[in-house]
Amino acid sequence: MAELHIIGQIIGATGFPQNSLFCKWGVHTGGAWRLLSGLKEGQTQVDMPQTGDMAYWSHPIDLHYTTKGLQGWPKLHLQVWHQDSFGRCQLYGYGYIHIPSSPGQHRLQCVTWRPLGSWQDQLSEMFVGGGPQLRSPDLIYSGADRYRLHTVGMGTVELELCIFLRHFDRYGVES
Amino acid sequence: MTSNNPAVFLLMVNGQIEAADFPEYDDLYCKYCFVYGHDWAPTSGLEEGISQITSKGGGSQSLVWNFPLDITFKSTNPFGWPQIVVSVYGPDTFGNDVVRGYGAVHIPFTPGKHTKTIPMFVPESTSRLQRFTSWLMGRHPEYTDPKVVAQGEGREVTRVRSQGFVTLQFNIVTKDMKKLGYETTSEHSAATGLPRTSQQL
Repeated sequence: MAELHIIGQIIGATGFPQNSLFCKWGVHTGGAWRLLSGLKEGQTQVDMPQTGDMAYWSHPIDLHYTTKGLQGWPKLHLQVWHQDSFGRCQLYGYGYIHIPSSPGQHRLQCVTWRPLGSWQDQLSEMFVGGGPQLRSPDLIYSGADRYRLHTVGMGTVELELCIFLRHFDRYGVES
Repeated sequence: MTSNNPAVFLLMVNGQIEAADFPEYDDLYCKYCFVYGHDWAPTSGLEEGISQITSKGGGSQSLVWNFPLDITFKSTNPFGWPQIVVSVYGPDTFGNDVVRGYGAVHIPFTPGKHTKTIPMFVPESTSRLQRFTSWLMGRHPEYTDPKVVAQGEGREVTRVRSQGFVTLQFNIVTKDMKKLGYETTSEHSAATGLPRTSQQL
C-alpha cells in the first residue's frame, strides 16, 4: 500500500478587513484513504498582530495516510473567523486547497470567499455583524451544489506543506 | 538478497539562530528546544540551548545572536518530523525577565540550504485589568512548557499577539530516505532508466 505524509504549517492569513483572526481547518479524503496518525482537523489560536497586517498562526500539520487508490486525493478546507474584543466570532471566509500531489516542499496560498446575502442582510451586517454562513461545510470543497450561491472574495491564507510519497512508484504512479 | 537494507534514516541539521527582528524590544536572549514524535530519537548534538543577550546597538535595528544549531536525528517514520521551538526573553521596564515571543517551525525537509523567518507571538492577557497588573508586577502570561507551541491541539482557546520575527538558517543532509522508499523531491525516476515493477493496486 502506498503512503503519503503531509507535514507543514498553516502560516497565517492576510488581506482580511480586521486582524484578530483564527482558522478552523480539516482534511477530507476519499474512501480509499486511511489516516494512520495525526489529527485531521483542528482550530488555530486567535492572533492579534502588533505590527503589520498579517495574522500569524504557525499551526503545525502532520498527517500520515495510506491509500489503495488515487481517487479522493486529500483536500484541505478552512474557515477563517474573526474574534472581536467582546469575544464574538464572525465568519470571514471559506477556502479549500488540494494537497499537492508532487513530493517536496510547497508554499501555498489559499484564496477565501464569503457568502453574500441580500442588500438588507448586508446593511444589518454593517451595524450588527454576523452574516450568512453555509449550512453544511461540505460545500467548501465540493462543486456540486453551488449554482445560485452569491459570494464575495476575501483574503488569502498562506501554508507551507511538504509532501513525502512512499511506494507510489511500485504501483507505477508517476508524480 | 540486498547488501544494504537500512531500517532507519538519518536527518542531520546544521544551522544557526541568526537574528531577531523585534521593533519594540531590546536586550533579548533566546532559548531553543526540539520537539519530535515517538519514532524519532536524537543521536548526537544538543537538544536545548540558551543564547547570549544581544542589543540593538547604535543605529542598526537588528538583534544578532549567530547561535549554532547542530543535531542529528534517526527515525523509522516521517511522522513526528522534528520542530524547533524558539522562545525569546527580555527585560521589561522594571528589569524583570519576561517572555517576548514563542515560535516554532519544522526542520526543513529536503537536503540543502534553507532560510526560515518565523513569527514570534506571546499569549495575551484576558482583560485590561490583567494586562495592567501583569505590567506592574512583571509577571506576563507565559506557557508553562514552551513545547505546546509545536502542537496543534488545545490552541483553539488561546489568544496571542504576534510581535516580531526570528531568522534561522539550516543546512540539511538526509541519509537513506530514498532506500526506505520515500520520495522527497519530484525527480522523475523514469529519467534514470531503472526498470519499474508494476502491481495491481
